[in-house]
Amino acid sequence: MRDSRGEKLFYFLNYVLLSFIAISCIFPLLNVVALSLSGAGAVASGRVTLWPIDFSFSSFKSLFTGTPIMRSFWNSVQITLIGTALSMLVTIMAAYPLSRKQFYSRRFFTMAMVFTMIFNGGLIPTYLVVQNLGLVNSYGALWLPGLVSTYNMLLMRSAFEQLPGEVEEAAKIDGCGETGILMRIVLPLSKPMLATLALFYGVGYWNSFMSVMIYINDTAKYNMTVLVQNMIKSTSMIQDFADPTMLASMTPEGIRSAAVIVMIVPILAVYPLLQKYFVKGVMLGSIKG
Amino acid sequence: MEIRNAASAARPEGPEIKSKWSGPKWKRFKMNIPLLIMFIPVVLFYVIFRYAPIGGLVIAFKDYNFYDGIINSPWVGFHYFEILFQDPRTLEIIRNTLMLSLLSLVVGFPVPIILAIMLNEVRSMAFKRTVQTIVYMPHFLSWVIIAMLVSTAFAMENGMVNRIVEQITGEAYPFMYEKVSWVAIFVGSGIWKDMGFNAIIFLAALSSINPNLYEAAGMDGAGKLRQIWHITLPGIRPTIILLLILSMGRVMEVGFDQVFMLQNSNVNQIADVISTYIYRIGLQGAQFSLTTAMGLFESLVAFILVFTANYIARRFDQGLW
Repeated sequence: MRDSRGEKLFYFLNYVLLSFIAISCIFPLLNVVALSLSGAGAVASGRVTLWPIDFSFSSFKSLFTGTPIMRSFWNSVQITLIGTALSMLVTIMAAYPLSRKQFYSRRFFTMAMVFTMIFNGGLIPTYLVVQNLGLVNSYGALWLPGLVSTYNMLLMRSAFEQLPGEVEEAAKIDGCGETGILMRIVLPLSKPMLATLALFYGVGYWNSFMSVMIYINDTAKYNMTVLVQNMIKSTSMIQDFADPTMLASMTPEGIRSAAVIVMIVPILAVYPLLQKYFVKGVMLGSIKG
Repeated sequence: MEIRNAASAARPEGPEIKSKWSGPKWKRFKMNIPLLIMFIPVVLFYVIFRYAPIGGLVIAFKDYNFYDGIINSPWVGFHYFEILFQDPRTLEIIRNTLMLSLLSLVVGFPVPIILAIMLNEVRSMAFKRTVQTIVYMPHFLSWVIIAMLVSTAFAMENGMVNRIVEQITGEAYPFMYEKVSWVAIFVGSGIWKDMGFNAIIFLAALSSINPNLYEAAGMDGAGKLRQIWHITLPGIRPTIILLLILSMGRVMEVGFDQVFMLQNSNVNQIADVISTYIYRIGLQGAQFSLTTAMGLFESLVAFILVFTANYIARRFDQGLW
C-alpha cells in the first residue's frame, strides 16, 4: 500500500522529532568531551562547542596529577564490584526459594518484602541502625542497607518462575538437589535477567552519592561522585590540590569535564554489551507486572 | 502458624502415611532444608535493615538523645508533629515537595508514552536502534554528571543556551537563579534523564498489539493520528494504569540527588524539599526526632496514595493486588 500524503508528513515529522530528541541527548556529552580535550584558553573564552579547540590533554593531566581522582576511582571500583557481587548473591538467595512452589510460607515472605517497598522507616531510623552496628565510615554502610532491592528481587523471582518445569523435573530424577538445580539449571538459563540486574545494581553503586555523603566521613574513602561533586561545588578545591605552576594551563571547567569523562567511560564500556540484555530484562519483568 | 497452614494446604490428598520419617510432609521438609538455609541471610537483611528502621520510627514520638538511646529516651507524644505543622518553613518544604513531584509527574508521565509510540512508528530498524541506544543512556548517568551538563549548558557565561539567548535578546538570562526557569530546568532534566528508559516498558506493551488492527483501520480510512488514538493508546492502557499507580507512591519523594545537585542559594525558597530538609536538619543538625516525624509523615502519605490509587484501579479491574 502506498503512503498517503498525510502519512508521508507523519513519518517525516516523526523522524525529525526523534532525531532532535536523540541529538538533545548526545549533544551535552559531546560538548563535555570537547571541553575536556581543549586548551585552557579556548575553554575560558567559551569558544568550544562540539569539537576540541587547541587539542590538548592538559585537563586530564591536571586532573590525574593535581586531584585525588585516581584514588576515588579505585574506591568506586571497589564499592561497585564488591557491592554488586554481594547484592546479586543475596538477591538470588531470596528469589530462588521464593520461586519454588514447595517452599514454606513463601506467600508470607513475599508479602513481608513487598510491604517494605511501600512503607519504610526512612533515612534517620536507617542511619541509627547503621550507626548502632558500628558501620559508619566503612563501606559496609554502603553495601548492607541497600543489599537487596525488592523490585529487582521480584524481577528475578518471576524470571525463575517462567523457566520450563520439565528440565528441572529431569534434573531431579537424575538426583539433582535444590542447590544443584539452582547452580546447573536455573542460573545458566536466566543469564539475561542476571545481566540486567547486575547492571542495575552496578550502576546504582557506581553512581552512589547520598549514602557516601551520609555514612563516609573520611575524605580518602570518597568515591568519584562525591569527589567530583565537591570539585564542582568549590572551584577553590581544585586550586588547593593543583601544582601552582600548572594553574596557568588549566581551567576548572576543563578539569570538571575531564572528571565527568572518567566517570562516564566505565559505564559506556559495559553499556553496549548489556543493552540487549536490559531491554529483554525490563520487558520480561513488565509482562508479569 | 503460617508455616503449618502452608504445609497442610500443599499436602496432596491421599492415603495417610503413619511413619514420621517418610511421606510427602517429610519429603517437603527435606527439600526445604537447603532453601531455608539459603534464606536465612535474606531474613536477617529484611529484619535488620527494613523492619528495624520501621520500629525505629517510634523516636518521632520521643525526645531522642544519643545517651538514652531509642528505648530509654522520654516520650513526648505528638510534640514534634505539632512543631512541623505549625512552622511556616516546614509547611513550605512540604508544599515544595508536592509541587515539584506533581509537576514532574503530570508533565513527565506522558513523555515516555509519546516517545515509545514515535519509536514504534519508525520503519528503519537501524535508525530506531540508534535512537534507542542514545536515549536510554542518560538513565545510567549519575545526577552529578547531569547537573554538571545542565549547569554548563545554562551557565551565564559561555553557556550554550545563553550564547543563543544573547544573540537574540542581547543579554544572558540567569536560568539557574530564577525560580520559574529553575523549576522548568528541574522538571525538564528529570524527564530528559529517564524518558528513554521509561519508554522501554511501553515499547514492550506496544509490540503485543495485533498489527491487523492497524491494517483494518487503514482500510477504513483512519489516518495515522486516529489509529494511534483508537488502537495504540487503548492497547497499552493496562501498562499506563499500572505505571501510574506505581508513580503515585513516589509523589512524596523528590529524589535527593537531583535536588541537592541542582539547587543553589538563590532558589532555596522553592527548591528545599523533604529529603534535603531531613539531610540538613536531621543528619547535619542532629535533630533526629523532628526529622523522623517528617519522614514518618512522608511515608504515611505515600502509603495512603498507593493504596488509594490501587483501590481506584481495582474498580477498573486493573489493580496491582
